[in-house]
Amino acid sequence: MAKVVSIKRGLWEQLYLPELVRGVGITLKHFFVNTFGSKEIVTVRYPEEKREYPPRFRGVHRLMKREDGSVRCVACMMCSTICPAQCIYIVAGERGDGTAIEKVPVSFDIDELICVVCGMCVEACPCDAIRMDTGRHYPPVDRRDQAFMQKEDLLAAGGPNVAVQGGAGPDWRESYRPLGSDRQIYDREGKLAKQIKGS
Amino acid sequence: MTDTEKNPELASFTVDGKPLSAPKGSNLLDAMVAHGIEISYFCYHPGLSVVAQCRQCLVEIKGQPKLAPACQSIVMPGMEVISSSEKVLAARRQMLEFTLVNHPIDCPICDKAGECALQRQYMDWDAKGSRIDHAKVRKGKKVDLGPRIVLDQERCILCTRCVRFCAEIAKSPQLTISQRGNHSLLTTPPGHRLDNPYSLNTVDICPVGALTDKDFRFQVRVWNLSATLSVCNGCASGCLCEIHHFRNKIYRLVPRRLVDVNLNWMCDYGRSTYKAQASDRLTLPRVEGKDASFEDALARAAGKLGSLEGEARAGIGLVLGADLANEDAFVATRLGLEFLAGAQLYLAAEPDTSEGDAILRSADPNPNRRGVSACARGKLRSAADLARDLSEGKLRVLYVLSDKLHLPPEALEKLRGLELVAVQASHPGELVKRANVVLPACVWEEVDGTVTSAAGRTSRMRAAVTPPGAAKPHWEILVRLARRLGLTLDYATPRAIFDALRVEVEELKGAEWGKDLPPQLLRFAGSRG
Repeated sequence: MAKVVSIKRGLWEQLYLPELVRGVGITLKHFFVNTFGSKEIVTVRYPEEKREYPPRFRGVHRLMKREDGSVRCVACMMCSTICPAQCIYIVAGERGDGTAIEKVPVSFDIDELICVVCGMCVEACPCDAIRMDTGRHYPPVDRRDQAFMQKEDLLAAGGPNVAVQGGAGPDWRESYRPLGSDRQIYDREGKLAKQIKGS
Repeated sequence: MTDTEKNPELASFTVDGKPLSAPKGSNLLDAMVAHGIEISYFCYHPGLSVVAQCRQCLVEIKGQPKLAPACQSIVMPGMEVISSSEKVLAARRQMLEFTLVNHPIDCPICDKAGECALQRQYMDWDAKGSRIDHAKVRKGKKVDLGPRIVLDQERCILCTRCVRFCAEIAKSPQLTISQRGNHSLLTTPPGHRLDNPYSLNTVDICPVGALTDKDFRFQVRVWNLSATLSVCNGCASGCLCEIHHFRNKIYRLVPRRLVDVNLNWMCDYGRSTYKAQASDRLTLPRVEGKDASFEDALARAAGKLGSLEGEARAGIGLVLGADLANEDAFVATRLGLEFLAGAQLYLAAEPDTSEGDAILRSADPNPNRRGVSACARGKLRSAADLARDLSEGKLRVLYVLSDKLHLPPEALEKLRGLELVAVQASHPGELVKRANVVLPACVWEEVDGTVTSAAGRTSRMRAAVTPPGAAKPHWEILVRLARRLGLTLDYATPRAIFDALRVEVEELKGAEWGKDLPPQLLRFAGSRG
C-alpha cells in the first residue's frame, strides 16, 4: 500500500506570495550567473564549443598504411568475424605485385550506421590496420548509402604505422620489453607525444 | 558376455586401462578414433597407405621398448596401449614443436585457418610460445602447381598425404618431396604439373594450408561457411557432397564420406559444377522475348495446352531432362500421361563422354537418367526421336523441362513452325532463344529432392541457397501450370511428391527421403582437417 504523506505548511508558506518571490529570486540568480559567465557552468555551447575527449575515445574508423603507403590490412576478416553488429564487409584479393604480401582487401566497407562503436574490430586486428582513434564522430548523412565508409575514405584518414613490417623476426626477444618497462606514446600523426617511465 | 565372445572376429585390447574391442588386424589409430579417444595425427588418412611420417600419434605399447606410432600398429588381442602418459604427451608436444619449426604461422591469411589440423592440434596439445630463435627456412610462396592448385611450400609440413593420394588414388604420381632435412619441399617432378582430374582432393586432405584451390583462394574464411549435405549432380555416380555457402553464395563443394560410392573423394569436374548456379541465370519469366509475370507466362502456356483435346494431344511434346530430380520427373510424367493423355514424352540427355574413369566419374554426365526413366515408366523416347518427329511435322506444341536438350540446327529451325514452344530452364541457350514462353527454373543446389545414380542408389539433395529472381523448382512450375489447366495435381512440397512416387514407381520403392538436415555452420562443426 502506498503511504500518504501530508506536508505541514506554516503560515509564512501559506501566504504564498513571499515564497513566490523567493523562487523567482533563485531563477534570476541562475539567469544572471549563466548570462555573465562563471566557472560553475557545467554545460558547453555545442557546437561552437566542444569538450575534449579522453585519449581512448572511439571515433570513426580509419585504415592504417604501410611504409609504402599501401593498406596495412591483409583481409583476414577477424574484424568482420568479431563484429557484433555485422557491419564490416570485406572482399579479399591478390596483391599480386611480387612482394611477400599476398592478400589485400579489394574493397573494405563499414556501415557506420549499423556500427555500435564497441571497438572489437580494433581489438581483433592482428596487423594494427583498423583503428578508431580519429577522434571524430561520424557525420550525419542524407541518404542511406552515404553511411558506408569505403576503403578510400578509411585510408584517407589513415597514417603510417610504427609497427615493424613482418614482425621483429627471430631476434624478437632482444627487442621485446615486458610489462612495466618504459613506454612511448605516439599521437595520431605518429609523432612521439609522451615518454612514460617504467615501474 | 563380452564383445569378443560374441564375435570371434573382434580383438579386445585396452587403451589407458579402458577395455575396447576392434576387428582383428585393424589399424590401432582407426580403432582409437572409432572409440572416440582423442589422438593427434597429420599424415595418417583412412583412404591412403600408412607411412608414419609425422610421428604425431605416438603411443606406448606394453612390451615394446620404444614409443610406437598408432597409425602403424595393428590391434592385437590383449594389447595394452597407453595414450595419455606424461612420456607420450611430452613426445607428441615435442613432435608438434618440431613440425612448427619452419611453419610460417600466417594463419590470418591462410585459407585453411579454421579447419586446419595443425591449428587444432596446437591448441589442443601444446598452445605454448615458440622456443625457436633462429630464422625459419624460406621456401617458395604461391607456387603454381597446376591449373587448379597453388602451393605454399613454407606452410607444408611434409606429411605426404597429397603425394600418396596422387600415386595411389588418382594413379598419376605428379607430386614428390625433393631436397632433404630442413630444406625438404613438396614439388612436382620436372616436366610435370598437378593436373590430374582428382587433384583438388589434395587440397581437402592437406592438414595445413599448403595446397589451396585457386577458385576458393581468398574468397571467404571457412568459419563463415555453412555446410548443406547434398548429392553432386556432375555425373551419374551420385557422390555425396557438402555444399559450402555463405550469405546465399556457394563457395565450394567438398566430398562427404560415403562408403560404397565415393569414399572420401570427389572429382575436380564435380567440384566445379557449383559455378553454374551463380552465372548467367534466367531470373524472370518471358513471353515472346519480353519479361513477364509468372501468371502471364503460365496463362500463355496453359491456354495453348488446354485448347488441344483428344486426338490433337498427340501433337504435344513433353521433354524431360535427365538432370531433373525424381520429384520433377514424377509430376511431369503424371501431367503428360494422365492429364494430357496422348502427349509424347521425350528424354533429353547429354551424350556419354570419354571423361568417365574407373575411379569415380561415370561416362554418363546426366545425374538422374535412371530416376527420370523410372518415373516415366518406360514411356520416354530419345531426343533423336524428337528431332525426327519435329522434322516430320508431327508436333504442334513443345514443352521442355531441361537445359540439356540439344537439337540439330534443322530441328531448331522447325521450332518456328510450332504453335507453342515453352521452356523451363535455368540458363539461356539456343532453345530459350526460340521459345515463346520461358519459365525460370532452379538448379540442384536450390532444391530439395532425390536423384538416382546409375548404380540405382537414390540420394537426397538439400537446398543450400535461395534461387535468383523469380526462379522456381520444376515441380512447382508444373503444379501451378496444372492449376491453370484446371487439373488436380496438388503437391505442396517435394516430400509429398516423393511419398506418392515411392508408392507408384516400382523401381524407387525402397528409396528413403532421408533426414532434413539444416545447414551446419562450420564454425561449430569442429575441424574438418
